[in-house]
Amino acid sequence: MDCEAIRELMMDVLYGEADATATRLLEEHHARCRVCRDELDALKRLRRDLARWSLPEEVRPRSRVAGRALPFLALAASLLLAVGGVAEFAVFREGERELRELMAAQGVQHEQDIQALRAPLTRPANRDDEALLAAMRQMLKQSEARQAVLLNASLADLSERTEAQRRYDLARVGAGLAYLEGKTGMQVARTTELMGHVLQASQKR
Amino acid sequence: MWPTDEELVAAFQRGETSAFDTLVGRWDRKIQGAIYRMVGPTEDARDLCQEAFLKAYRGLRTFRQDARFSSWLYQIAVNVCRDRLRRRRGRTHVSLDELGETGESPPVAVGPSALDLVEARDLSRTVAGAVAALPEEQREVIVLKEYEGLTFLEIAEVLGIPVSTVKTRLYRGLTQLRQRLEGQGIRSRAPVPVSMS
Repeated sequence: MDCEAIRELMMDVLYGEADATATRLLEEHHARCRVCRDELDALKRLRRDLARWSLPEEVRPRSRVAGRALPFLALAASLLLAVGGVAEFAVFREGERELRELMAAQGVQHEQDIQALRAPLTRPANRDDEALLAAMRQMLKQSEARQAVLLNASLADLSERTEAQRRYDLARVGAGLAYLEGKTGMQVARTTELMGHVLQASQKR
Repeated sequence: MWPTDEELVAAFQRGETSAFDTLVGRWDRKIQGAIYRMVGPTEDARDLCQEAFLKAYRGLRTFRQDARFSSWLYQIAVNVCRDRLRRRRGRTHVSLDELGETGESPPVAVGPSALDLVEARDLSRTVAGAVAALPEEQREVIVLKEYEGLTFLEIAEVLGIPVSTVKTRLYRGLTQLRQRLEGQGIRSRAPVPVSMS
């Protein structure tokens, strides 16, 4: 493969999306082409520099509460199971009936503990998320209001322009009619003058 | 188990509007970060992020889920960025000054000296300026790949272009960034290929 063709593979390798075949092809090319080999190294260094562009605090992604809470919930669940298991072993020797009673009690206890663990997952969001939801709803309302204002402004503007156009058109029509009237008046006056000349001439004869 | 994006979308389409709140909580920071890197200062990013989620809210009822929800959301974000940049009267990138004093913190290091902190902050600003100076189509791909971590296939979905085009734009963008940063003495030099298709 030539250097141009290898570039797509280079992108795959650079970003960890290359399969074994692509990786092998790139390595084979690099064994022959130092320029491409050095270029890949330079791009790896570049990526380290690009990673130094940090976002302002207010824009930085935050880790989810659930993401942080889940390991603790998983640990708590594991501990509960471990404790339950140890308790079962300790009373095994005291007889089957007692064991059955204990297992039933353990089952009830586990069920209650699981419900208690589940409760936070189904509870409404914590204060931060509630504030975010309230802010989001407020933003939606404000945006709707802004849209309504913009629409009214556009309608008012359109109405004004239509009225202005109407007036302009009327003025033009008026001016045109006046021009025609003027022309017509002149025509009548000329005709009248000619008629006068003709009458005078015929009277003289 | 936390519901997936697709489950939340389905819930919203069944009338559970609170599902959208969950989606917002899950994605708002990511989208705002992506928008910030594509257009610049925080005020614009917050405003555009709000606009993106409003568009998502309006479109979600008829969203067909033939693409990933995240790809669809990033697509909306990219489009609002493009619209904003177009409205900036022909300027297709923001200046370093506009990206400048936005309160970016230098990365944490063990026992950094004052000089280390200043240099880190300078590098962050320099990189921000270099990315901002890229042509829009390269900047979009760089942000989505380098900072949002989308796969090539996801970026192709978001931008509606073939995967090979994504890789070409990415390569060109990285090459330009490397030249710009090396020109400012940021990294040691390596040969730049002569031909770039």
